[in-house]
Amino acid sequence: MITPTVFIVDDDQAVARSLRWLIETIRLKVETFASAQDFLDGYDLSRPGCLVLDVRMPGMSGLELQERLVAQRIQVPIIFITGHGDVQMAVRAVQAGAFDFVEKPFNDQDLLDRIQKAIHFDSGQRDRNARRAQLRAIFASLTPREREVLDLVVDGKPNKAIANTLGLSAKTVEVHRAKMMEKLQARSVADLVKMAMQNQAVS
Amino acid sequence: MRYGLIVLAGALAIALALLTVAFSRLRNARRQLLDKEIEHQGMLDRLKENEYRLRAIIESEPECVKLQAADGTVLEINPAGLKLVDADRPEDVIGKTIYCVVAPEFIEMYRENMRRVFSGESVVYEFKAITLKGRIAWMETHGVPLRDARGVIYALLGITRDITEHKQSEEQARRHQTELARVARLSTMGEMATGIAHELNQPLSAIANFARGCIRRLRMDGMTPGDLIEPLEEVCEQAERAGEILRHVRDFVRKSDLQMRPLDINQTVRTVVKFTELEARQQGATVRLDLDADLPRVQGDAIMIEQVICNLVRNAVEAMAEGQSPRREVTIRTRPIDGVAIEVETVDTGPGIDGGIIDQVFDQFFTTKPDGVGMGLSISRSIVESHGGRIRAESGRDGGATFRFTLQAGQQRVRRHDHADSLHC
Repeated sequence: MITPTVFIVDDDQAVARSLRWLIETIRLKVETFASAQDFLDGYDLSRPGCLVLDVRMPGMSGLELQERLVAQRIQVPIIFITGHGDVQMAVRAVQAGAFDFVEKPFNDQDLLDRIQKAIHFDSGQRDRNARRAQLRAIFASLTPREREVLDLVVDGKPNKAIANTLGLSAKTVEVHRAKMMEKLQARSVADLVKMAMQNQAVS
Repeated sequence: MRYGLIVLAGALAIALALLTVAFSRLRNARRQLLDKEIEHQGMLDRLKENEYRLRAIIESEPECVKLQAADGTVLEINPAGLKLVDADRPEDVIGKTIYCVVAPEFIEMYRENMRRVFSGESVVYEFKAITLKGRIAWMETHGVPLRDARGVIYALLGITRDITEHKQSEEQARRHQTELARVARLSTMGEMATGIAHELNQPLSAIANFARGCIRRLRMDGMTPGDLIEPLEEVCEQAERAGEILRHVRDFVRKSDLQMRPLDINQTVRTVVKFTELEARQQGATVRLDLDADLPRVQGDAIMIEQVICNLVRNAVEAMAEGQSPRREVTIRTRPIDGVAIEVETVDTGPGIDGGIIDQVFDQFFTTKPDGVGMGLSISRSIVESHGGRIRAESGRDGGATFRFTLQAGQQRVRRHDHADSLHC
């Protein structure tokens, strides 16, 4: 598994270096960016981790970067670092989907805990996304007939009724059903129902 | 005999003729007299009619119409006027002096306007009235002289209306404006403080992060003394950076390009009074000037010096209002010091400065005001010192605070023609 990275975006290079020095104590990879644009240019979507972002920055502000990421459906969790008295900005950021925020001056443990949580959240999110993608691929591999049989099984119909509905022999239905179960690696009808529901939620 | 008869008859005829003529003249005269009498009666009727009409108009006039004698005695007043002063009957007002409904502080002004009307002028004046039932109202009177047939002024004809509502909305608008100005001033200072705080937060966070990082590594035994050098150097650098920011704040005024020009400080004082007077008046305070006419010019930045004086005056006004001082007066005094410097002094009649805090009043972020930022006097001191002057605070023995600052004199003297208007006002 790829080690998660903490991406730091702060125009103040001293602050960025100090954050790196602090965060590296919890054995995470750290990468710093001097501006929001640098981050957008250099960020690789596939890399897990979280983003530590200064709210106030010249050029594109932290909030603007967040908007861009949301617009591009990039789901990296963001921890905002706000100055004293920027609580309103922080509230806006959280409303727009930020993972969390810390107010400067912050307690180191507090920041590190939040970073850990964010990374945990990100990996969970990535796992879920991967599972969904997998599920979508499996469902996509079903033939139209198998798909029809699946829908009726999930509806609770016995083989005989399915055969009647589809105008097939009970034997043929059984063959489709077995193939479909195998593709989905489902052991029971309950498994099937669960997977179908998950897929429905995804698509 | 016959001749005698003829003569007699002739004489009779003549007499008769004369009599006839006289009689007809008499009749004519009588007729004329009668006509005249009728005409006269008609005139009288018309006059009376006119008077009634005029009276009706005045009586039904929605605004107060009144006649006053030179000493203020009310000669006549219409019902609207009676209503205006809350009088139930005409005799409550007529024959009485108008001054019994004029607020005491306006009586002198009212008298002056009466004098002007009786010397032939038309006037408009506003005053505060206290009606017979004790209601306080603002009134506006248009007064014109009323002359008799010989042209002698015998009364003031006054039309008065209640302008309380108008006055109140005016007052409200003015208060709103000052409130805005106050908020603007506060927020500028607040923004400045926020800016400084944000600037300082950067190096402080960096220092904390580097130090925490070191501690964590030391605890984990994952560090050699040599590894500490780099982060500790960073810590030092950031501490210096924080110090630099603070120095910038202190030098803020010194470094901001001062526009040094020869200044007539009395003029500067007058400018400040112009834009602080309203604020002072609303807090019930007056600003008095005691400016020395023979001041040397000083080298200074007019805007900056204005800011200092403005700060001192506003502080004084606020302190007097806050302290509920019964008499609220700020005196701005200027005087030369040995021809090489000048001194500007503000003296107020407020509660003064507590002895225990007098040394702190110029400190940054020191304030006694509930919504104060504590920058005003600190900035004032920076400004004065950047001009090579000194500023001091004192508390008077019988209350009141005194602030004094000096400024170095330049070469030129203030020209003499400035003297006339630099007397007490």
